[in-house]
Amino acid sequence: MPSHPKYLCIVREVTAKMGQMHGLGEEIVEQIRLAVDEACTNVIKYAYRGNADEQIVVRYRVDSERFEVVIEDSGIKADPLAIAGRKLGEVRPGGLGVHFIKRCFDVFEFDARKKIGNRLRLVRYLKERNEDRDNGT
Amino acid sequence: MKIEITEHRGVKVFGLSGDIDMYSSPALRKELLSFVGKKAPLLFIDFREVSYIDSSGIATLVEGLRGMMSHGGKLKLLGIPERIVEIFSFSKLDKVFDICGTLDDAFKG
Repeated sequence: MPSHPKYLCIVREVTAKMGQMHGLGEEIVEQIRLAVDEACTNVIKYAYRGNADEQIVVRYRVDSERFEVVIEDSGIKADPLAIAGRKLGEVRPGGLGVHFIKRCFDVFEFDARKKIGNRLRLVRYLKERNEDRDNGT
Repeated sequence: MKIEITEHRGVKVFGLSGDIDMYSSPALRKELLSFVGKKAPLLFIDFREVSYIDSSGIATLVEGLRGMMSHGGKLKLLGIPERIVEIFSFSKLDKVFDICGTLDDAFKG
C-alpha cells in the first residue's frame, strides 16, 4: 500500500477480514487490527518520516498454528533496542503503539538480514493461545 | 472521522464519528487545541459514533486533557463503545480520563 495515512483504513479492514476468515475471536481480531495499524503507522512516521509517496508491503501467513504478519518498507532502519513504549498510565501523548502491538503478538522481530529498510515479523501463536483459553488460563 | 460541535446547557460537545487514526487525528487535534485555547471550564467529547481509535487518537485526547487541565478545566468522554473502552483500560487511561455513560451522567459528575 502507499505510505499515506489515508490507506491505513484498508490495512485495518484486510487484517480484520483475515482474522475473521481464520476463525479468530472478535476480541482478538480487534487487537490484531489495531496492532497492524500501529505497525504501519510507525513505518509512515519513523521509517518514511511522513513521506506519503513510498510503499509498505503487508503479507499475511495464516495456518492452524499461527497468524503471521510481515510488514516491509524501504525507509530508515529501526533500532529494535530503542523501541520501547512509555509506562502505561502516564498522562503524556505517544508511546502506546508498541504496547498495542506486543500485547497480541508473541513474536515482534525485525529481520536483520534485510539490508535496506525494515522487515517486521509479527506472529501470534494460535494453538497455545487456544489451549490456554480452553483451560481457562 | 467527522466532528460535530454542539452545545448543551452551555457546554460544548464534540460529537465524533468514524475512525480516529493517524489520518484523521490531526483534524481533531486542531479543533481540540483551538477550543483549549479559549480556556473554557468544561468540554465533553461524545464517542457514541466512534468506530475505531488508535494511539494517534489517544495521544490527541491526552494532549487535549493536558491542555484543559493546564487552566483548571475539565474534559469528559462520554458514550465510549465497549471495544474502545478496552483500549483505554489497557492503556490505564481509564483512570486518567473522566469517562461517563451519557450526557446526563457527564453533567452530574
